[in-house]
Amino acid sequence: MTTFSTTTTRVAAAALLMLGVGALPAHAQSLFNAAGLGTPVEALDGRARAMGSVGIGLAGRSMMPTDPGALARLGISTGVMAASPSWVDYSEVGNRSGSFQGNRFPLMGIGYPVLGGMASIQIGSFLDQSYEVTRIGETDLGDGPVRTSDAFVQDGAVSNLNLGFARALGERYSAGLTIGRYAGSLDRTLERTYGDETDAANVDTYIESGVWSWTGWSLTAGGSADLENVRVAASVQIPTQLTGTASQETRGSDRSFSLPVQYRIGATASVGPSVLVHGSAVLADWSDTQGALNAGFAGSGSGFGLGVELSRARLLGKDAPLRFGFRRVGLPFAFEDEAITERTFSGGFGLVLNETAGIVLAGLDLSIERGLRSSANLTENFWRATLSLLTSGF
Amino acid sequence: MAIAALGLVSVFGAGCEEQTPVALDDEALPGAPISVTVLIPWSEFASNLEVFGGYGSAEDIGRGVLAEDFAGTLDARTLMRIGSYPRVATVQDTTGASRPDSTLTIFGGRFVAFFDTIESTNAAPVTLALGATSEEWDETTASWDFAVDTINDQRPWTEPGGGPVVPVAQAVWDPAAGDTVVFALDSAQVAAWADTTDLSVGARIDILDTGERLALRRALVRLDARPSSNPDTIIELSAVTRGSTFIYSPFPQPPPDGVRIGGAPSWRTILDVGIPAIIDGIPDFCAVVSCPHTLTPGEISYAALVLTSRATEAAFQPTDSIRLDVRPVLNRAAMPKSPLGTSLIVSPFGRSVGPDAFGSAPGFEIEIPFTGFARDRLRGTDASGNPTPETLALLSVVEPFSITFASFEGPQSAGEPYLKLVLTIGPPVELP
Repeated sequence: MTTFSTTTTRVAAAALLMLGVGALPAHAQSLFNAAGLGTPVEALDGRARAMGSVGIGLAGRSMMPTDPGALARLGISTGVMAASPSWVDYSEVGNRSGSFQGNRFPLMGIGYPVLGGMASIQIGSFLDQSYEVTRIGETDLGDGPVRTSDAFVQDGAVSNLNLGFARALGERYSAGLTIGRYAGSLDRTLERTYGDETDAANVDTYIESGVWSWTGWSLTAGGSADLENVRVAASVQIPTQLTGTASQETRGSDRSFSLPVQYRIGATASVGPSVLVHGSAVLADWSDTQGALNAGFAGSGSGFGLGVELSRARLLGKDAPLRFGFRRVGLPFAFEDEAITERTFSGGFGLVLNETAGIVLAGLDLSIERGLRSSANLTENFWRATLSLLTSGF
Repeated sequence: MAIAALGLVSVFGAGCEEQTPVALDDEALPGAPISVTVLIPWSEFASNLEVFGGYGSAEDIGRGVLAEDFAGTLDARTLMRIGSYPRVATVQDTTGASRPDSTLTIFGGRFVAFFDTIESTNAAPVTLALGATSEEWDETTASWDFAVDTINDQRPWTEPGGGPVVPVAQAVWDPAAGDTVVFALDSAQVAAWADTTDLSVGARIDILDTGERLALRRALVRLDARPSSNPDTIIELSAVTRGSTFIYSPFPQPPPDGVRIGGAPSWRTILDVGIPAIIDGIPDFCAVVSCPHTLTPGEISYAALVLTSRATEAAFQPTDSIRLDVRPVLNRAAMPKSPLGTSLIVSPFGRSVGPDAFGSAPGFEIEIPFTGFARDRLRGTDASGNPTPETLALLSVVEPFSITFASFEGPQSAGEPYLKLVLTIGPPVELP
């Protein structure tokens, strides 16, 4: 049995790694990427997604940069990796509709016991910024009208690299601190071509592009308390400005954007035999970012989530807790001056792949979300799956 | 369990095709660039126009030209060597068996010439004369006045125009009847042309009627021979001509005020080109772009030298399309022997211009695009970091290609060359 479980763990880890390598470009998952600085992509694992969490206060083991205090509860060396594909159908009021899909890897991390606590390195996603748009026009070059096609492609994302340390303070309490470094780049390219496909004019394509590197810092402090049947956690993330530094060949200028202080609080309570109820909330006011934006509107990124876990369920002879949740979180950037929210209903389960002496050495968590993002003119309905692998004891 | 895990991951992998979302409206686009066409006069982008001749030889064309007082001026004759006669032929002997016969008795023949009915100007029959040259001549350097014109060896004809010839035959060519004309040869002339080592041996074709210019495509000698293995049979053999060239008079002088491209030997026109770094004072441009505007290479979407055709001297007016090429001159100081760079025209056939532009319909504007060169010239270096030549050569794609050449208006004339630029100017792309 142990041999079988160990093999299963390795196979699952290898498969997840192959999945990651095979689809490394983290592309866009929303048309709202074109607004402001893009769409937030939270560094959550499959369990948090399934329970509608904003990434804090989950009972049991979790390793997310938004909950630094929880790191101290890991106890042994732990690694996590999450993949999250989504399938989006969109419709514009009185106009076109369509669909697209993409994949991203919102969370990778590793924690290791050191100095009586737990040190961690985590790479998480932060803002998704990729999109493209084309404008067809006409111009007169002296010999009559010529069709022009302006194709704009924005490709990039902001991610963050976090170094953290957490320590248990007695039996019930723990505290953690994470220093994050924003990274990533943004490539914005505008190409104007002349003539149509069948009559490619001998006028060359005009290309104007710019590449910016994202830099910035954040400090996240948090703590958690395990009270009787309840775990409570809170964190605060204090960022510096997010700075885009233009490459040497870029004509565009450097810019800095204010980021909001983000407050998170969450709790999980055991309300019966093998039944956990979870609630969490995030408070993030992005309106200060508005001043630096050339286009789009900045608003609130606040939201909350509720969920439940039924831990007695089993699948294929293994523990496979069932989870359900609901989440409602604001999108910080919009095309118009309006509030946009993302609402999701979620479900999922966990699967213990390998367990020794009550310690889960490998486990998969899967969530499926059905969600809605809507503004006055644009609605996105989407399915999002999140699969994460948590391994320990390596 | 392992299979289940793998299956789950496979499902994820299958759903991971990346598709970038396409924004719904123009608001997601940065500022739109402006496209504007700018015409730069000669004085602001070019200088030092110069015409050079003498590239290649009429022999290189491999075709002949005949003319007599064409357009009131042009006389032209075609000279050619006769190739070696076949010495072996496969014939049927008296028993009916085919076998090689190397003992052939050549007793007569015909000189057959093929003309280009399109390029030739005559519609009516013309009389042609075939003669045998009597002075040594060099097919590469022969001209109207000189039989040999090489370094340290310049020998004029004793009579300009190919020297005295031994008349061989006359024939009439009627283009309505076909493209072929046949001259009868007697056995003595056939025997005389069998010597391929004598540099004075050759054929010369003249046109006797005035006012026409004929294009000779090729010629050969048909030989009548009697094989020893079957003396009652006459067989026909062919000897091709080689070293065909043409000589003509008068030789055109370089134009004092224009552009000339083509001819045989060929003409080239070179000019220094500079792309103005600052655009100012052009009302149409400054109406849409803040002036003065400092031009960058990336803003040049199209650049072309625009030439206005003018009538070529009547004797050398093209009867077929001229294909123009433009190449950078790598070392102007070494002209006329400077090497040239690669063609700036994308098409390997160059820029084709119909013959009417140089005859019945002058004033036709021809654009010769060189966008990449213009960008490099403005930048000062090419993609490899090498300095960009500042001189361009206008020439024929194939040199030489025809006795005819293209003519264009030069600087300080009403139709002087100008530079056409299509500029795309946009604001820098900024962060959102």
